[in-house]
Amino acid sequence: MNVIETKDVSYKYPDGTPALEKVNFHAPKGKIIALLGPNGAGKSTLFLHFNGILKPSAGTVMVDDEPLDYAKKTLMRVRQKVGIVFQNPDDQLFAPTVGEDVAFGPLNMGLEQDEVEKRVNEALKRVGMEGYGNRPPHHLSGGEKKRVAIAGILAMRPEIMVLDEPTSGLDPKGASQILRILYQLNKEGMSIVISTHDVDLVPLYASSVYIISEGQIIKEGTPQTVFDDEKTVRGANLRLPRIAHLMEILEKEDGLPFDKPYPLTIGEARKELLKHLKY
Amino acid sequence: MFNNTLDSYAHYNNLKNINTFFKVIFAITTMLVSLISSSPVVPLLIALVMSFLIVSQAKIPWKFYLKFLALPFFFGLITFIFMAFFFGVGAHILDLGIFNLAVTEDGFNLGLLTFSRILAGFTCMAFLALTIPMTELFSELERLKIPQIVVELAMLMYRYIFIFLDEAINMYHAQETRLGYSSLPKSFKSMGMLGSNLFIRTWIRGEQAHIAMESRCYTGSLKTSKSPESLKNAGKRNLILLVLFELVLLFGVYLTSNFSFF
Repeated sequence: MNVIETKDVSYKYPDGTPALEKVNFHAPKGKIIALLGPNGAGKSTLFLHFNGILKPSAGTVMVDDEPLDYAKKTLMRVRQKVGIVFQNPDDQLFAPTVGEDVAFGPLNMGLEQDEVEKRVNEALKRVGMEGYGNRPPHHLSGGEKKRVAIAGILAMRPEIMVLDEPTSGLDPKGASQILRILYQLNKEGMSIVISTHDVDLVPLYASSVYIISEGQIIKEGTPQTVFDDEKTVRGANLRLPRIAHLMEILEKEDGLPFDKPYPLTIGEARKELLKHLKY
Repeated sequence: MFNNTLDSYAHYNNLKNINTFFKVIFAITTMLVSLISSSPVVPLLIALVMSFLIVSQAKIPWKFYLKFLALPFFFGLITFIFMAFFFGVGAHILDLGIFNLAVTEDGFNLGLLTFSRILAGFTCMAFLALTIPMTELFSELERLKIPQIVVELAMLMYRYIFIFLDEAINMYHAQETRLGYSSLPKSFKSMGMLGSNLFIRTWIRGEQAHIAMESRCYTGSLKTSKSPESLKNAGKRNLILLVLFELVLLFGVYLTSNFSFF
């Protein structure tokens, strides 16, 4: 079953420039999907279609196999189901304190006081920010802000989380903390869509990958099939994961017996190397 | 940054955990007492007590506090001087000998009273600003039945002040790096560009924030969950001390009502 599916979605900006062209995207339940694409390819625009902020010029968006009808009631329900974490946490964290910000979504859903409080505590604990409830967001680091932004979405108990470049601008530790949280959430059944251009991390968590370029999906499949097509990957201003690149060079320049598909992660590369270097 | 330190003192001072409503009542009633006083003695006393509380109880570094106080102090001083020279009639107590300038009794007393009230009022405000985080003040404002829309606007402004401050500082540094402030005309030009750019950024940021809020089911009004602290939590001892303190001040106002230096 697909939590989110788009069928031939096209979108034109108000001034007529096309932003998306016949995008077919689906996010199956319980998986992590990566959307790869260079800057300005239309990733964020596509995301805003998932919860009905933008309405496609043509095509349909389906959430839980129901086409979006953009009625007020449906939109409220869809926005609870589809949680979007924005790229810049400062755009999302608007309330004077962390606690109030996390409570914003649940309060808008019209939940009871006790339930809201319970969810806020739970969500903050989930992202390792318990005890920060009374802090103002400007006293937090970038990674902490990002985690609070995720908590703000978690508190609404969505079925799927859509994250726009969740690791951009974070230090390595902050980035790995975010990924660990997402990984854990996914293990508990949350479906996740991540947009990124960090190709090294994609094979580690994604079960399938889409490459979007100039508003069109130009490649989709498992990480292995997508990165096997290095021409398309490079054509979209992206690159192979460093590990795969190293293997490619070792094969092509140095004539070492590494064959396609190239290993994409350190673990895979280790296995491959040990196989050939046993002595 | 000035704003950052003010804000962080409000969050991490030593009186932070005292009941917020209690602190608000304390500061406001004390300010009112200083306003009804007709002699400068009680307001000056209030300024001293408040400064003592801020520096020794709330543990705000005195250097920072003095800097904080400097501006209103000089403003008050200038007011005092002008009032002493240009207000009132009556016996001259000091003749300058030029342009017929003289300090009159009336003017001197009025100036001194204004000066002391400015100091007292400002120290009361400083007590509020330095010991209560803005975030707690918002729920107090709601309790005092300030209209929802005003509180909401204040909350959003408070949050975004720090974001735009950051952006302004970054832009300023970027301009400085490219010698944007190397001469006075260039400074004017750079500052103007910074201002207009910041305005456009504000616009874009506002739109993005709105989209992010809509994604979390925003329907046009901010709902708050916090119920403000009850005054009962302040403790009987504190409440009795508060009433006694204000009564002593009022008695002082009564005693000194006819007091003046000349």
